[in-house]
Amino acid sequence: MNSVELYDTEVLSYTNPDFTSRADCKPLIAKTRSTLSVSLLLLALAGCGSNVTMIEPTIPAPRIEKIPINVALRIPEEFKDFVHEENVLGKESWTIHLGNSNATFFEQLFGYLFDGVTVIGPDDDARNFAFDALIEPSIDGFEFSVPNQSKTEAFAVWIRYRLRIFDREGNNASNWTVSAYGKSQKQGIGGSDSLQRAAVLAMRDAAALIIMQMDKATNISSLAGGGLAPPTSRPVKVAADTSSNQVPDDEEEDFGVFAIGGIDDEAE
Amino acid sequence: MRQNKSMVPVKAVPLFGLLTVCLAGCVTSRVEDARENVTGLNAGDSVVIMAKSYHQGNATESKYITCIEDALGRGSQGLRVIPRQQFVDSLFPWFEPRTAPAETKGLTKLMERPGVSKIVNDLGVRYIVWLDGDTETVAQGGSLSCAAGPGGGGCFGFAWWQKDADYEAAVWDLEGYESAGTVTADVSGTSFLPALVVPIPLIARTQAAACKGLAQQLRAFIIQ
Repeated sequence: MNSVELYDTEVLSYTNPDFTSRADCKPLIAKTRSTLSVSLLLLALAGCGSNVTMIEPTIPAPRIEKIPINVALRIPEEFKDFVHEENVLGKESWTIHLGNSNATFFEQLFGYLFDGVTVIGPDDDARNFAFDALIEPSIDGFEFSVPNQSKTEAFAVWIRYRLRIFDREGNNASNWTVSAYGKSQKQGIGGSDSLQRAAVLAMRDAAALIIMQMDKATNISSLAGGGLAPPTSRPVKVAADTSSNQVPDDEEEDFGVFAIGGIDDEAE
Repeated sequence: MRQNKSMVPVKAVPLFGLLTVCLAGCVTSRVEDARENVTGLNAGDSVVIMAKSYHQGNATESKYITCIEDALGRGSQGLRVIPRQQFVDSLFPWFEPRTAPAETKGLTKLMERPGVSKIVNDLGVRYIVWLDGDTETVAQGGSLSCAAGPGGGGCFGFAWWQKDADYEAAVWDLEGYESAGTVTADVSGTSFLPALVVPIPLIARTQAAACKGLAQQLRAFIIQ
């Protein structure tokens, strides 16, 4: 922790009695005071809120072999303009506009990961498209911490994605949660850029995990060439309305990969 | 194990004429290395400076890594340093905070991944240096008050703080997929801020000293 708060600052106000005694100056002083008060109030309010707008993230081309399967990627409505708002300790309010960045992110990621990707909208009927598997990403959770909370010099972002995978007949093949984390050192005043960078790093972290564990966690490659999900999976109709595809929470078969899952794990 | 202890004297550097004066505080530093294997550089060999993963709790500052990169690459004996972001992007996703190998035993498996060894060879990377550690304020005290009015303003009081910079650089040799050794820097610095109307900062540049010391020792360690 590098921050040092050592300054006990007190500002003293001073009023010249000669000046205030002049009646003709009173309206001017009152006007100046009110202008100053409004300015200070605006300044204080501006200091209490921060807006972060995400840039379109780009991930480098991964050094991997593609999974030989054609997938349909259904972009949910919430990915068009995802906004996260949060008050921190009742002092600061943060608004993070993720915008379309998640849609761009998954399009790019799955383009690198699979042989073919067809992007379909939330209102499209999946039956009108040819694919081996349909993937429906969503955001289960978005959290962040700022230096005031963590007592460090870093901003951190956690994103929990859920990937629902269906076979071409609409059977629920897999339901995978991906927890990603990004951390960025505080730089400059305000911290908007640092928080933005932490969010980008969290998305990049999710990309690394999905690339490394996708097939292992979901067995999606078994759906290639018309393969169907095991009969134990509950059939879910893949229709135009995305809300009808949601499996009730108490019936979900979640398996999250929270472990680091890197090279060292495999080397052992 | 080699050791290098130094005491940097207080220096006076004038800034913006007579009104503002900035003096350097006292810094004590200890830099050591522990060698495990023989090192050396061939023509065209380069090094990459990386931070250990923040997934494992590491908090090495990015400006410190940049400082080490710059310091290693500077001068007539400067090493060829590959920017870490270029290296990480070229080998995505194998050197991300989540996926980067934590031990040298993972290197053999990593090099078998499609395209990985070719990229490493193309970049000429011989050594990966993993930085761990950070700079922290470990003690502070005193008080300082400032006041301002239409007739002017000023400060009165005295404040001080102590920062410790502890860093370790683990050197991996990609030629034999083995650890070459470690270089550590432990630097402590105390800064003072007396004020009698005008505050006079006596700042100890702890992190800068840790950067300079570690980079010098690291260069000597690698070149041998």
